[in-house]
Amino acid sequence: MSDTDPTLDDRRDASLLLAIAAGCEQAFVDLYARRQADVFRFAYAMARSRSVAQDATQEVFLNVLENAGRFDVAKGSARAWLFGCARHVILDRLRHERRWTDELPELSAEHDGDAELLAAQRVRRLHAALVRLPLEYREVVVFCDLEEWTYAAAAAVLGCPVGTVRSRLHRGRAALAALLAREDAPAEPATLRPREVYP
Amino acid sequence: MNPSGDPNDRDAEAHAPELAELRAALRALPAPRVDDAAVRRAFRDRRRELDAARAVARRRRARVHAALAAAIAFVAVGGVVRFVVSQSPQRSQAPQSDAPAAVAAFQPLLYAPEVAPGAAYSVVRVRIPLSSLTLLPAAGADGMIEADLLVGEDGLARGIRFDGAGALPVSQASY
Repeated sequence: MSDTDPTLDDRRDASLLLAIAAGCEQAFVDLYARRQADVFRFAYAMARSRSVAQDATQEVFLNVLENAGRFDVAKGSARAWLFGCARHVILDRLRHERRWTDELPELSAEHDGDAELLAAQRVRRLHAALVRLPLEYREVVVFCDLEEWTYAAAAAVLGCPVGTVRSRLHRGRAALAALLAREDAPAEPATLRPREVYP
Repeated sequence: MNPSGDPNDRDAEAHAPELAELRAALRALPAPRVDDAAVRRAFRDRRRELDAARAVARRRRARVHAALAAAIAFVAVGGVVRFVVSQSPQRSQAPQSDAPAAVAAFQPLLYAPEVAPGAAYSVVRVRIPLSSLTLLPAAGADGMIEADLLVGEDGLARGIRFDGAGALPVSQASY
């Protein structure tokens, strides 16, 4: 995200979307340069795969190009609209591919010390648990906990009431905690079960 | 971490440090380099595809509209024709008309003398049993049919005519 005033940012995005709808190539290039990293990070958080995130990002912007004419300033912010598009594309892709990726996250290339290595392991473990959540919980956790959107903004993107966001987030966090707790639990020693004897 | 500020959300608090680390790691994640030329190429390709698809959709819509217009025109013309036919005086007033109905021509009888233009003839209306006629659709049925015979001065019949559909059934038994 850019560090400037979010309202100004959103106005700029909205004007770019309107220009794209009118067929302006430069507006498309500008919007891509401004928002490509945000969309990529969102896709990566959802899929935990760099290649999936890259493909999804391309698709999101082609989708934006196709549907920019449907953006209505009166109905919501440009950021919500853009992430709504991104969400549709990424969910479609994840549902279609049923991809539960085991790719290692490329979050940091080198680790200087043990503390950093442990932190990277914790991050990797948490992200692995996150992508095992059902999609409706995962997207809410990504929006609210990772992207730090307000409930209202997340509800606008998801097209559901704020109460639904709140309850999904609660369940998503609980499921995430349960997954992590299961991993933390010591493995049960293998026991030999008596073989069933059939007469 | 916990935008709700809900103190009871223990799951949010329990993993807050890890989520913060993941959040920071994601923010530090390098996004793919933006290739300006590739973006412009993608834009142009997609626009071309969209324009082609829109042109196809426009043509399809135009065909549907043309078909609808033709159907409406057909129905309208059909309605007008039906209205005109139903209002035509010949059809609606035919039964009450005083105008002479078209008279069928006499058919020459086999083995009879030819009809001469200058000779005098009489027309005699007769009733003929249907059973005696082998060529009519109702032949063989019980009943009678009216016919006009063209009779010469010598008393021999020259021709015959069945004078219109109204004259044909004399008896209900013929059907």
